[in-house]
Amino acid sequence: MNKLKALFCVVIPIALAFLFNTKIGSTPPLLKFLNPFMGFWQNAENNHFIFNHKAKIKGAIDEIEIDFDDRMIPHIFAKNDHDLYLAQGYVTAMHRLWQMDFQTRFAAGRISEVVGEKAIEVDRYQRRMGMVYGAENSLKGMMADPKAKEMILAYTDGINAYIKTLSHANYPIEYKILDFKPENWSPVKCALLLKQMSAVLAMGSDEFYMTNIMKKFGPEVTKDLFPDYPFREDPIIPVGTKWNFSLLPIPKTPESFTKAQTGEVKTKEKIEGIGSNNWALSGTKTASGYPILANDPHLDLSLPSIWYQIQLHAPGVNTYGVSLPGAPGVIIGFNGKIAWGVTNVAADVLDFYQIKFKDESHKEYWYNNAWKATKTRLETIKIRGGKDEIDTVYYTHHGPVVYFQKPKYGRANNVPVGDALRWIAHEESNELMTFYYLNRGKNYNDYRKALTFYTAPAQNFVFASVDNDIAITPNGKFPLKWKNQGKFILDGTDPAYDWQGWIPAEQNPTVKNPPRGFVSSANQSSTDKTYPYYINWEFSPYERGKRINDRLSVMNKATADSIRLMQTDNYSIMAQNLMPALMPLINNEQLNATQKEALGYLSKWNKRYDAGEIAASVFEIWSKRLSFDIWNDEFEVEGIPMRYPSRDRTVEMILKEPNAKWFDNVKTPATETLTDLVNEAFKYSCDSLERRFGPINKDWNWANVKQTNVPHLAKIPGFGSKVLLIGGAKSTINAISESNGPSWRMVIELGKTPKGHGVYPGGQSGNPGSKFYDNMIDTWANGKLYDLFYMQSPGDKSGTIISRLKISK
Amino acid sequence: MVAPWWVIIVISFATCGIIGKTGKIAFWQSFFAIFLLWIGYALFKSLPNDNILASRVAVMTGVKIWWVLLFLTGLLSGLAAGISGYCGYQFRKAMLVKKTDEKIA
Repeated sequence: MNKLKALFCVVIPIALAFLFNTKIGSTPPLLKFLNPFMGFWQNAENNHFIFNHKAKIKGAIDEIEIDFDDRMIPHIFAKNDHDLYLAQGYVTAMHRLWQMDFQTRFAAGRISEVVGEKAIEVDRYQRRMGMVYGAENSLKGMMADPKAKEMILAYTDGINAYIKTLSHANYPIEYKILDFKPENWSPVKCALLLKQMSAVLAMGSDEFYMTNIMKKFGPEVTKDLFPDYPFREDPIIPVGTKWNFSLLPIPKTPESFTKAQTGEVKTKEKIEGIGSNNWALSGTKTASGYPILANDPHLDLSLPSIWYQIQLHAPGVNTYGVSLPGAPGVIIGFNGKIAWGVTNVAADVLDFYQIKFKDESHKEYWYNNAWKATKTRLETIKIRGGKDEIDTVYYTHHGPVVYFQKPKYGRANNVPVGDALRWIAHEESNELMTFYYLNRGKNYNDYRKALTFYTAPAQNFVFASVDNDIAITPNGKFPLKWKNQGKFILDGTDPAYDWQGWIPAEQNPTVKNPPRGFVSSANQSSTDKTYPYYINWEFSPYERGKRINDRLSVMNKATADSIRLMQTDNYSIMAQNLMPALMPLINNEQLNATQKEALGYLSKWNKRYDAGEIAASVFEIWSKRLSFDIWNDEFEVEGIPMRYPSRDRTVEMILKEPNAKWFDNVKTPATETLTDLVNEAFKYSCDSLERRFGPINKDWNWANVKQTNVPHLAKIPGFGSKVLLIGGAKSTINAISESNGPSWRMVIELGKTPKGHGVYPGGQSGNPGSKFYDNMIDTWANGKLYDLFYMQSPGDKSGTIISRLKISK
Repeated sequence: MVAPWWVIIVISFATCGIIGKTGKIAFWQSFFAIFLLWIGYALFKSLPNDNILASRVAVMTGVKIWWVLLFLTGLLSGLAAGISGYCGYQFRKAMLVKKTDEKIA
């Protein structure tokens, strides 16, 4: 009896210890987490005192000084390149270690290691799309270059030196919530980070949908609804720019061959999000007589921010801008002589090839009239709380066969089953050198040289120099293709469908000092129809680009403020184009009171998506619903994933073909007209707003409908921002949606000394317990920019330094 | 090098096992010792932080208010310590009775 009691008395405390030390589901180990000595309370930083620090890193060659300004931006002063990147690794890890770890784990398909079985499809997708395969190849390219190798190794050492200083008590809080430990950084993680950017920016491919559309509607309709050039465009390289290179022979188009694949996937309208703006004005249009350059890349907003501001100063380089945690160098920024920025090209650099396998073993496939062997690659996925899963991926010479069976995973919607993937991100590459040379560039020639190192994701690189040169180049390693090669699924048995070579870098479209006095890009078509090579058949809608060009053409004596205000321009060219066509079609008699009132707001609307505009909310839902009304009946078919025609094509149809057969809803016996759809969509918009918010009141304001907010990177509740009541929309320059938008806004005035201005919606520290976690959000939300402190030396007193870190060996 | 959190379980168990006077004292003294220690130290870290982290974590865990989270910290740790202390005392009692039984036998 007593023995039993004694046993219980020992077992119960032990059980308690286990219970409160174990992660249960997504709940962190309770007492391990709540323990003030080692748990999350330790991450609460002192807001009132900030100290100077010293650190010893064995690999440091010389002394390094890092000055932190009043926004916690590090200004690194090193005596050589090695120490510079060592220090960049160290401070980036200091502030963003968990982010770097999480993003590279995600890229590598290693989330199941941390959260268990539930992430298995996420990981499988990354592996099977060849992310790790691509990172390994990319790394080979980088390590073959001695400079890139030095940068990567030093950066890696810096991160690891910081990790060494950590004890459990000071792990970033997400490690404590998810109950895992930081692991050492390795060079392949730099490559993974860069590949992840490629995945975000250059993994678009609609050929699966397009092939299904071709099969269902035939080539005539497909060409009509999905043309190879929009009816309205304002291309990046101005119309009339001459190409002065001798053309490479373009590969011949083979006889078309298409065969649709089917799956159980719902058709989704293409959501705008991945895009950006940049532009540069020559001195002829500015008050100072020197160029001004602006860039605002649009990405999913998150805390911590995808960007990390930094200044790098060493012999031969003094550059300031934003970096990507996980890769050395400054990606977007400026130095004493030049400034540069990027927007996404979205080139057609991802293709699917239909493969004819010999049998179920998938060991051989038919190519060029012979059987060719596949290679297998085993992907081992570790699962927390479970057995390792080993996934076999078959590689053809094109690339991996992604899926033999469609998984239940949203990102895999556009992947055709049984097809092999050819993707630019699988190539050897050396992008880091582009930024190495841009960081140190002094003039236009340096800019052009830097671009030759760049593979993917292709970007429109805008440039300005103090010599009063401006330029823009849609730039990347572009496969030499026949027209529309890649618009549909390709025949994997026929060599004529392979990628036949590359467009030489110097033949990428480019323009320098155009007569109009400015360059710009907003992801629209790279060129007009005269450019001889095929880059893609479709780009982003032209409205942002058009608005930017409209404003820049009439701008004279521009200042940084003129440009800042332009970045937050909420005027919608889409509304400008559509409203005159739609408003007359509204049947006023058939509207109820709320709808009549909404119509009143619309008739007085200035076409701006400002925070307080009720008309903007009504119009936005109305136009989206109209697109659904027009296309859904034909393009949403069970078992045949497709996509809608583009917004440009839809607008063209509304304006020029009001009697088109597509307006009829084929699912109803009656014949609908455009007028019917316009009215249905309008009523739908008013009704849905009324359901959500009641009869028209201030809750109908655009800002309240949009609900912009900046969530945590892993969507941890409580770690995101509050709702920001601000304007902007995807069809305007100020391209803000619910949680996607300008992740960095930058305006650089070149001159004898450059003046930089910038902001991003977040803070330098990734620690939610730091006052620097989200301190810049309000400035960003208010459309303002900070003056960037571009130091010339460690003792530079023109700004505020709040702490110093001295690194020695 | 700080000890892991469950040292409170070991220490409460051992202390009450050795010097515990009654079950009630064993529980409550352990409970309050840890309740106050953990809350005190948590406040020491949180107040200079203006409680911003505690507020965020409170939202994350669903308790919404930072000092509820603080209270929970004390409550759960105090309970773990108190129960361990009580078990320690009872364990010694059980061992003593056994010894007495053996002596008599």
